Amino acid sequence: MTDVILEKVGKTYPNGYQAIPSVDLSIEEGEFIVLVGPSGCGKSTLLRMVAGLESISTGELRIRGERMNEKEPAERDIAMVFQNYALYPHMSVYDNMAYGLKNRGIAKNLIEEKVSDVAKMLGLTELLQRKPRQLSGGQRQRVAMGRAMVRDPKVFLFDEPLSNLDAKLRVQMRVEIRQLQRKLGTTTLYVTHDQVEAMTLADRLVVLNKGKAEQIGTPMDLYNKPATPFVAAFIGSPSMNLIDATLTEQGVKISEALTLPLSHQHRGDIVWGIRPEHLEVSDEQNGDFALRIQAVESLGAETLIHGKIETESANGESMVVRLSGPHLPDVNSLMWLTAPMSHWHLFDAKTQQRL
Amino acid sequence: MTVTFPQKGLPWLLLLPQLLVTAIFFLWPAEQALEQAFYQEDAFGLSREFIGLENFIDLFTDPLYYQSMLTTLVFSFSVAIVGMSLALFLAVMADRVIRGKLAYQTLLIWPYAVAPVLAGVLWWILFDPSMGPIALWLKSAGVDWNHYLDGNQAMILVVIASTWKQISYNFLFFLAGLQAVPRSLIEAAAIDGASPFKRFWTIVFPLLSPTTFFLLVVNLVYAFFETFGVIDATTKGGPGQSTTTLVYKVFDDGFVGLDLGGSAAQSVVLMAIVGLMTVIQFRFIERKVQYS
Amino acid sequence: MIENRPWLTFASHATLLLGIGLVALPVWMALVASTHPASAFGVGHIPLWFGDAGAETWGTVLFEEAGNGVDTPVWFMMLNSLIMALGITFGKIVISLLSAYAIVFFRFPCRNLCFWIIFMTLMLPVEVRIVPTYEVVANLDLLNSYTGLTLPLIASATATFLFRQCFLSIPGELVEAARIDGAGPWRFFFDILLPLSRTNIAALFVILFIYGWNQYLWPLLITTDDAYYTLVMSIKRMLSVTDGDIAWNQIMATTLLAMLPPVAVVIGMQKLFVKGLVDSEK
Repeated sequence: MTDVILEKVGKTYPNGYQAIPSVDLSIEEGEFIVLVGPSGCGKSTLLRMVAGLESISTGELRIRGERMNEKEPAERDIAMVFQNYALYPHMSVYDNMAYGLKNRGIAKNLIEEKVSDVAKMLGLTELLQRKPRQLSGGQRQRVAMGRAMVRDPKVFLFDEPLSNLDAKLRVQMRVEIRQLQRKLGTTTLYVTHDQVEAMTLADRLVVLNKGKAEQIGTPMDLYNKPATPFVAAFIGSPSMNLIDATLTEQGVKISEALTLPLSHQHRGDIVWGIRPEHLEVSDEQNGDFALRIQAVESLGAETLIHGKIETESANGESMVVRLSGPHLPDVNSLMWLTAPMSHWHLFDAKTQQRL
Repeated sequence: MTVTFPQKGLPWLLLLPQLLVTAIFFLWPAEQALEQAFYQEDAFGLSREFIGLENFIDLFTDPLYYQSMLTTLVFSFSVAIVGMSLALFLAVMADRVIRGKLAYQTLLIWPYAVAPVLAGVLWWILFDPSMGPIALWLKSAGVDWNHYLDGNQAMILVVIASTWKQISYNFLFFLAGLQAVPRSLIEAAAIDGASPFKRFWTIVFPLLSPTTFFLLVVNLVYAFFETFGVIDATTKGGPGQSTTTLVYKVFDDGFVGLDLGGSAAQSVVLMAIVGLMTVIQFRFIERKVQYS
Repeated sequence: MIENRPWLTFASHATLLLGIGLVALPVWMALVASTHPASAFGVGHIPLWFGDAGAETWGTVLFEEAGNGVDTPVWFMMLNSLIMALGITFGKIVISLLSAYAIVFFRFPCRNLCFWIIFMTLMLPVEVRIVPTYEVVANLDLLNSYTGLTLPLIASATATFLFRQCFLSIPGELVEAARIDGAGPWRFFFDILLPLSRTNIAALFVILFIYGWNQYLWPLLITTDDAYYTLVMSIKRMLSVTDGDIAWNQIMATTLLAMLPPVAVVIGMQKLFVKGLVDSEK
């Protein structure tokens, strides 16, 4: 059953600035959707429009078939976890979690029951009488989630909830959020700028750029078949190597001296891409091209090699190669590479669409 | 951007009490003052006559008004400079000591709470020529102290009483300013071989300048508008007009002299001055916000 | 300090003690004077050490009459002062809280105009527009009343600005969280905003209490009835006595009693007082 539908939803501020032209998205019940994109791409605005904290300028938002545009946040049956948690600093953990229920006039014993259930689930039982300032970052994060969970809402909204935590805790909480969401089966909309978080959490991802949904799909769809160079660059770390090229009868012409053979009916300017992990080390006979090595980053499990495609002219294109295991090539030496055609990504330079 | 509530009528309800009080007790009287400034009214308020700018012309051709302006300036700057110097001196001392800082602060800030008129009464009695201990001591030292007759001595008395009350305020802000000077700067200067005295004048004092400027404005405003009680208790503006500040004159001409038009014209002039000072003060606060 | 110079530290302490002594001098003198009989002042100088009439003077002043033309006892005028001070303090805090709330958390037409109207009160201290304000209050028939003593003084731009500043520092997410939790404007005001502004309110309370208690010119003008005399203004009435013998001991005792409550508040709530001063920065 479709749970949340955004139909041509757009946002234009009173000063005329169009933050989001139009977004279409339908979310299935129990689905975990992640909105991802660089800062300023409109992902938070979109989330806040679903929450009712920003008005919807155009289009329609429906939750379980009911139009929500004019409803107050409290009437939408949603719960939200904020980036800075937004815990009421003067209230105890218990009161923070109970506040929304109290405002809805729910019986006291029922509130107690719900809060203690959720507290148990999150391991907060011992902390119920503490004030937020007496808690660690991770504990606060948990209280913020508990506050959302006690209400048993139709939709969870998360606005970069992990960005205030340190790296280790972030990984731990990420796993925990995913587990909880599976267990509760609540439809979730999650905003982040971190593509690792996005890939690991999402059933489906929405990549936003300048207010437009560049691509909507499962993490593997986006990794394997990015729709635009923007998505290609955004998903995956280190980012995909993207090089401006021309498609001719001979193939992909990267520079005057270098053309990779390909038969394709398209002609004209394109963007050619290949992920760092898909480049393979080769030798002078079999290699497609050579890389002049500029820097080597050894991470133990893998090695990242930064270099420039060696050409007669001074300015070759930059490239990153990702090799598993330790490698120690000399800086300034040449490294021959092959780029297997099955891993190529071709985009029309003008329309920015995948070919 | 602040988050707001969508209600449209409620904010008016919330503002209503403040707007009402402001309209009735601020805007209406201000408007009345403006109106009255263009009329001449007899002492019993029975008849009034429109006389245009005459009240203002009278005011600005009256040598007494200029004298009062001068008195106000001398008085205000004396209060500001004497009060700030003493307070800065004490604050530097308090900043130096390690033990007892809070105790010293406690024992120095309480005069802020004393009503200006009470400050006036206390100092007046200390300086009363016939029985005040200080006046008698001055006499034995050869100074013929009688502030009832000597205008300069009267001025000194009101300056002392007004300064006494304001020292606590200056002290608190200077002490806070001194404590905000980064230790590392002073340590760097000490390593560069600057003596404590030199450090103060070349490092600390320049860094205090925002505080100093802020206090200067506050002190001038205080001396202008909040010393009515001090003057009323000690000298009643006398002898002659030697301690009649502009604010005291508004009251004196209005309630004692019953020259309502003249007093209203003075009110209008004063409001313009306060407006100007407020703008200066706000400029300063804006700038300070940018600093931090 | 950087260097350890014992003599400098010693000099600092000595200077501070001297300063404290000078600041306390007038109060010391008043305290001494209040312990001598009225006749002691006729001989030409104020005694320098305590006399033995202290208890009697203080008792008379507190419970019988302040003397020198003021027939009411100090405790009664203290009560009036307290009513006036608390009236002004609570009035200012309440109306400023409400108006700052409206200005920060709502958008409505003429919002800026309202802000400027409130701002203007900053430019019009009562001393400056004393005559017309008196007339307005007289026209409204508020002379000799608690309303007349308090109401004209409770509009305050300072308090409104302070609360505005305080409200602006509350993170927007907190408001959003409250809205999602189903709190309307009133619930938000009482459940979230007031508890969060607690220290600011307390600090302002200290400052405004002192301001209210120390009012002088205004009560002097609008009260002619003993029943509404406040303690601070009664000093003026005591001093304007014309017939010869001024009972200095009683005046000094009354003066000390008049400054006691605000001074006690400043010393007892020093932290809040300092915060209030720094926050309001006038």
